[in-house]
Amino acid sequence: MSEKGKHRILMVSDFFFPNFGGVENHIYYLSQCLIELGHKVVVMTHAYNNRSGVRYMTGGLKVYYVPWKPFLMQNTLPTFYGTLPIIRTILIREKISVVHGHQAFSTLCHEALMHARTMGYKVVFTDHSLYGFADVGSVHMNKVLQFTLADVTQAICVSHTSKENTVLRSGLPPEKVYVIPNAVDTAMFKPAPERLSNNEIVIVVISRLVYRKGADLLVEVIPEVCRLHPNVRFVIGGDGPKRVRLEEMREKHSLQDRVDMLGAVPHANVRSVLITGHIFLNSSLTEAFCIAILEAASCGLLTVSTCVGGVPEVLPDDMIVLAEPDPSDMVQAITKAINILPQIDPETMHLRMKKLYSWHDVARRTETVYDRALRCSSQPLLERLSRYLTCGAWAGKLFCLVMLIDCILWQFLQLWQPDRDIEVVADATLTSFLHEEMSRDSFFFFSGTIDDIS
Amino acid sequence: MDESSAAADSFENGRYKYIHDIHNGPPEAIDVHRIVLQRSSQKKLLIFCFLALLLFASPPFFFFVQQLNLLTTLPWSLLVGGLFVRLLSQKLVKKESVIILPAFGVQLETQYGSGRTIRRFVPISKILKPVLNECVTPVTCYWSLALIIRGEEELMLVFKELYPPVKMLVPIWKAICAAIDVEET
Repeated sequence: MSEKGKHRILMVSDFFFPNFGGVENHIYYLSQCLIELGHKVVVMTHAYNNRSGVRYMTGGLKVYYVPWKPFLMQNTLPTFYGTLPIIRTILIREKISVVHGHQAFSTLCHEALMHARTMGYKVVFTDHSLYGFADVGSVHMNKVLQFTLADVTQAICVSHTSKENTVLRSGLPPEKVYVIPNAVDTAMFKPAPERLSNNEIVIVVISRLVYRKGADLLVEVIPEVCRLHPNVRFVIGGDGPKRVRLEEMREKHSLQDRVDMLGAVPHANVRSVLITGHIFLNSSLTEAFCIAILEAASCGLLTVSTCVGGVPEVLPDDMIVLAEPDPSDMVQAITKAINILPQIDPETMHLRMKKLYSWHDVARRTETVYDRALRCSSQPLLERLSRYLTCGAWAGKLFCLVMLIDCILWQFLQLWQPDRDIEVVADATLTSFLHEEMSRDSFFFFSGTIDDIS
Repeated sequence: MDESSAAADSFENGRYKYIHDIHNGPPEAIDVHRIVLQRSSQKKLLIFCFLALLLFASPPFFFFVQQLNLLTTLPWSLLVGGLFVRLLSQKLVKKESVIILPAFGVQLETQYGSGRTIRRFVPISKILKPVLNECVTPVTCYWSLALIIRGEEELMLVFKELYPPVKMLVPIWKAICAAIDVEET
């Protein structure tokens, strides 16, 4: 299991590649850095179109695309106990020691954490977003989160604001929550080789054009800024329902030559778009942590952002200008940024970001959380059930019932297919594959390790 | 034709038994790998199916019986039960074999409980490589051995019905790899 303190981690989430986003990126980079530290990482997610089964990614990262169809916004159908057999099989065959779930919105994550707790594994949960308290969707989501987090071993949040939000929503004791911020791949996001001239100031916006990301604010801000500063140009990358509004704004104020709409920008091209600008504008209405501004700062852009959620915690004060989510305030902030611009040196900014944020640091801190989680004592069933009872008058009893049925189903599964019938998988060693040429034998790189099990 | 066969290897786990024979005869040694479903496992499966039928069919059956005389229904129920067991034995696999004929090809056999045997032959030139796959289903994950056939998109499964453990699949995989290597050189 953990020889020399090395862990075997199962990352579970509905959100993983080929789908693209912050959570997917986080899981991938964290997994790669943990593998470099010597741990074994396996990722479990649902199947995407015809990508189903086992895949291997860089560094020997094994991904299980379990063929459960997503039903709503990339989430697996929540069948409570349906995923118990496959999760049990994966946990036993990979000899997992810690289960790490990501994102409160992922049903697969909640189910996996519930089943892992039933089977006695240590469980860590990372929350990546902020959620509200008032609307119907949020109320239900928070109840589900309360259920999962009632019995989690440790929790991780990406910013202090996010920690406050999670603790309030779930009633988790704050001592159990660690704050580990996201990071950015500074090797990929480098500034432009030559500094841009300051004759024409280019402001870059790259985000999904939806309400949450403040696309409506942009509609108000852009014409005003163009009016006040004749030498400013905007580049807008991204797509979404609010794109129509931005196009209308362009037509109305005849800004076709001053506002470029690029459409959806694949992540591989984001850096090339960023380095064409001097200033990065982020107008989100809510943000737990904003990786986009990290990427912009790594490319040497000065950031102007709305002061919401975890954004103030991300960058030092001299790299970011904050504003209230109000059009006039944002216009003032942009003016201030344009005035500060001559003092900014992209290379210095990039080097600072390299020291401030790195995925290796995130992995080391996460490793500490895993160590603490494994040191926690295993509790008997009755004590765990009593924790669920504190969740609410009716909800507590319902949660206890759900967990009891899960325990009974697990015992039944153990009778049907005992633990020793599930074969443990040999670890694939990639070193021979990397150093050998593409000969016929190395094409199936298992040929080296099969000898171990025969 | 003189043939002497040596049982090179054989081991078993709870459900399956792996037998490896080598027939030494002209022109070359023929490798036979057999995977047999244990008798206890077969019996357990039969009993389980019978019980399941009893459980699900008995309530409507008893309702039906109340309206008829027991004496006339008993032979009918026995007949139906017998037909059912016969059908099951036709579906139930007794053993699957892989016969490697060097320089010719690989013969895959499936023998059912009723004695019916299905054979498939794959010429050695058509096999690109045998592969051990991890198959993921919505409820479980298991290893399977398949052949990559030149010119075809789909993999050919070596064991169609049985799910032997990977310890039994590995020697068969190695033997087929060796046969292909000899053929290529």
